[in-house]
Amino acid sequence: MATPVNPPADYAGVPLPEVQIVTNRLLSAETTERLLNALDVIPDIRQINMTGEGIPKTINSGPGKGLDNNHTERRVINVGGNEIELRYLVGAFYIEIAAEDEEIFNVRLEQIKAACNEHIEHGYSLQVGRYSKYRPTLHDYRSA
Amino acid sequence: MAYKRQFYPGNSIPAKNRRRYLDPKVKLKNLRDVAQDDVVRIMGHRNPGEDYKSIHPPIEEGKEPECPIRKLVTPIEGAKHGDRVRYIQFTDSVYFAPISPYQRAWMYLSRYRGVDTGTLSGRQIIEVRERDLEVMAKEMIDNETFDPALTGIRGATVHGHACRLDENGLMFDGWQRYIWDDEKKEVVYVKDQVAIPLDRKISVGAPGDMKDLRERTTIFRADGVDMRDDEEVTKYGIRIHYLRTLGGFQPWKVKGE
Repeated sequence: MATPVNPPADYAGVPLPEVQIVTNRLLSAETTERLLNALDVIPDIRQINMTGEGIPKTINSGPGKGLDNNHTERRVINVGGNEIELRYLVGAFYIEIAAEDEEIFNVRLEQIKAACNEHIEHGYSLQVGRYSKYRPTLHDYRSA
Repeated sequence: MAYKRQFYPGNSIPAKNRRRYLDPKVKLKNLRDVAQDDVVRIMGHRNPGEDYKSIHPPIEEGKEPECPIRKLVTPIEGAKHGDRVRYIQFTDSVYFAPISPYQRAWMYLSRYRGVDTGTLSGRQIIEVRERDLEVMAKEMIDNETFDPALTGIRGATVHGHACRLDENGLMFDGWQRYIWDDEKKEVVYVKDQVAIPLDRKISVGAPGDMKDLRERTTIFRADGVDMRDDEEVTKYGIRIHYLRTLGGFQPWKVKGE
């Protein structure tokens, strides 16, 4: 029997604002690492979710099936002292901010923009809203 | 009245390029020279220098059945020797790649004999007798329809044509068959088209710059040349759509349209 799937992220329970950053180019592991480290020091960030194009660990079809993929961008990066296995060529960030009020939120937003401007060479688009779930739903409790 | 072959309507840059690529009388420019053996290595069907495997004896040796069509058609070299049918598959990025899969199909069928080709959303496969394929593959890699960054040689797992480019301007490839050589500013193949590692790196040259690629592309894009800005192309599209619809709906009315 399959074990229940844990919620993929830690839900706040309330719809905190999220900053969506979609980059114009897919970022290398090195840039992702630098950007995350720049974001890591900004207070009030509750969590950062990332997405992008998946990089398989092994060749998953064809005559080379099962061989190591050896993709240079699929590696372990170090963010704030934690090792994170990067499995994507990252192209979007969702930054959840737990600020006390709008004024503080705006300060954090400017800090995020400054970090992005410094590290994302080819530009990005940024929006504030709510893009992911903030409380568990039925999906989180299904058995398979 | 003698029929004069037409290729594609329109006066915009992509329309003109489509005409050029399709017209077999136009000799395409060669932008690079990848060694024939390296093309064979990238395709991965045989080792360079190895004999061609055959699936039937040479036509001249065998007893061909009596057939008027066989007498009419001159076999291509590979068919004469009884070669296997092998393939090469290209993926073309939506970001102003020099050509896109559907025009590849038109181009292949317009320029080459003895080919079988298939179009998919982001890739175009071509199947030919092996020794002819190798010659064609070299032409296709060397000429202006190929760009090292925006065209991929991918036999399987072609995902990437509609993805954003990476920081070096290369089309995304989950299997990373080619990498960016930052010293030489060139694109280098490290795996063959089905991602089996190559013995040595094969350079396919430097990518074209975006300004040049916009001049070379056959792709209509809202942020490049919009198809609707080319009046003749739009009319042609509408006419085909109209005739197809009418043909399905009231085919007797198509006469004279």
